[in-house]
Amino acid sequence: MANYLEIARENIRHNLPVHAVTAGILLCLSPLVLGVKNLPLADTAKVLEMYVALIGIILIPPVFLPEQNPDLRDLIRSKYTKISTVYSIRAIEAVLVLALYLGVYILILHINGCQMEAPAYYAGTLAEMIFMGGLGLLFYSLTDNLIAGYMIPVFYYITAMGAGSKYLKVFYPFSMTKGSYTEKYWLLAGGVILMATAVRIRSRK
Amino acid sequence: MFGHLFIKECKQTAKSMIYWLIILILLIFFNSQLGSMEFAEKPEPGQEDYGMVAGGDEQATMEATLGYLVSEYRSGSFTTYPIGFYKTVKPSQKELKRIHEIVTETTGLSTDQEIDDAMTAAQGDSQIVYGSSPVKPKDGLTFERFCALMEETDDMLGGGSNYSKESLKTNAKTPMTYEQALQQYNDLTEKDHFTGAYARLFSDYMGIMLGILPVFLAATRGMRDRRSRMQALIASRKASSAVIIFSRYFSMIVMLMLPVLLISCIPLSECIKAAGGGIRLDYLAFVKYSVGWLMPTAMISTAVGMVLTELTDTALGVLVQLIWWFLSVFSSMSAMHGGIYGWDLVPRHNTPFNYEGFHAGFSQLAANRALYAGISILLAAVTVWIYSLKRKGRLDIRGKLFGNRKREHKA
Repeated sequence: MANYLEIARENIRHNLPVHAVTAGILLCLSPLVLGVKNLPLADTAKVLEMYVALIGIILIPPVFLPEQNPDLRDLIRSKYTKISTVYSIRAIEAVLVLALYLGVYILILHINGCQMEAPAYYAGTLAEMIFMGGLGLLFYSLTDNLIAGYMIPVFYYITAMGAGSKYLKVFYPFSMTKGSYTEKYWLLAGGVILMATAVRIRSRK
Repeated sequence: MFGHLFIKECKQTAKSMIYWLIILILLIFFNSQLGSMEFAEKPEPGQEDYGMVAGGDEQATMEATLGYLVSEYRSGSFTTYPIGFYKTVKPSQKELKRIHEIVTETTGLSTDQEIDDAMTAAQGDSQIVYGSSPVKPKDGLTFERFCALMEETDDMLGGGSNYSKESLKTNAKTPMTYEQALQQYNDLTEKDHFTGAYARLFSDYMGIMLGILPVFLAATRGMRDRRSRMQALIASRKASSAVIIFSRYFSMIVMLMLPVLLISCIPLSECIKAAGGGIRLDYLAFVKYSVGWLMPTAMISTAVGMVLTELTDTALGVLVQLIWWFLSVFSSMSAMHGGIYGWDLVPRHNTPFNYEGFHAGFSQLAANRALYAGISILLAAVTVWIYSLKRKGRLDIRGKLFGNRKREHKA
């Protein structure tokens, strides 16, 4: 357990801050361009699904970044703790930061008089974040390229904006705006599977 | 030297997985948006409906806009879409007082009761379809004065309101007559030569993708030297920094535009099939629009990726471009109909029609495209400067001076 805590601490010290700060800045900038006061139900969902969820792409894909150099990976593999454990701890930390940011953001929206079904919006947005981040993480693991890890979820986001639910069906990310939550279960399940697969693939590389 | 490096860089790009992912994404996006193109047909007299046309005469515009103004003034909150997202603005007491003065000056209504009565009376029927109940302007109010007051209101609300210049053009919506529909079709076939209209629609969609995808290619290319530990080797070569960077830059642009031009052959062939024999087609329209409309977008997106990757050795360019793209795409949603191009990174014209709007806004569009092409060359030049400094051993962010992130030990 002490080992795991140490891995988490090192991640917080070296890897997580730059991405967490970037995501935080993105959220802090939102009142400049978006309405965050007195929003009706659908518009609150729109802000969460179309803007706030984007930080999933910033925080989750860089989970593998510290071992970008293959020599480092070899070194870590020689250690007693499994490399997949290291990745999993980092991924969990990224999700925790997302959960924290989202919680604070929803609280601010609530204080500002925005209408919302808070628990459902919270869970739904987090599911979307995990799916988009998981998608990026999987492509990072497949291609060994962080840029691909950013590009694929961005493409997914644009496709959702352009083609709507026509092509994405149950994986349509902006369903809360239309009052549907079914898709969020699929996104959560899909996101967890994508992240687990990504960790598994990367651990073998 | 330049030609040799250019060819080499093109080959490098062709071997890049990100490049092939970009092509795949472009193909999927094209197929999802324009895969089954529907072409305009000549309107026949006596049809039940010819569609709607945004905008009306000055009177209709004033009535529709004042309808919004009085109802929002009474509710005390104003709806704006500064970047396409809903934003409720609650003006301060001072601003509300000024808006009340504007309401009085434009409608002649001064008390809340008068405004409520006017709004109730406005719930009648009209040939004109409005987004809100129309309210008659005060006698003697000129359109110029009305526009100035609406601009002032929009400024107070922070932009993107129903009183912005763009909104004034679309607040009133009127049913199209047969003559208008015929004129629109004639513009499409005679002035746009059919293919021009669809090339514009193609540019509208592909511009969305080219506003963001090139940055991924540029960032990957920028980081490849470091990843493959070739930086020092390349730095010691004879080729100047300008030749290295510009050959890289232009090769990426050429390689990015190549699939766009190839994909454009699909709608071009469909246009040729759909037009039949009676229309004089412009066969080069897709090439002209791809180069004039789309290439500057690809150029600036690539340049942002190059300069920030070279400067920071990170994927920061992706984030910056993503934010810029996000703001641009959402803020231009109110101008989807075309004709209002402004300084948007991704100009929109999401219809094969509205040739008039395109014609009227052409000089603005040309200035927009020229500006981005110019800035992108400037950014490429800045990249040359950064690269040359790094070659000389300066500005090495990951070097010993700035890159030492070891923890200090007390021992």
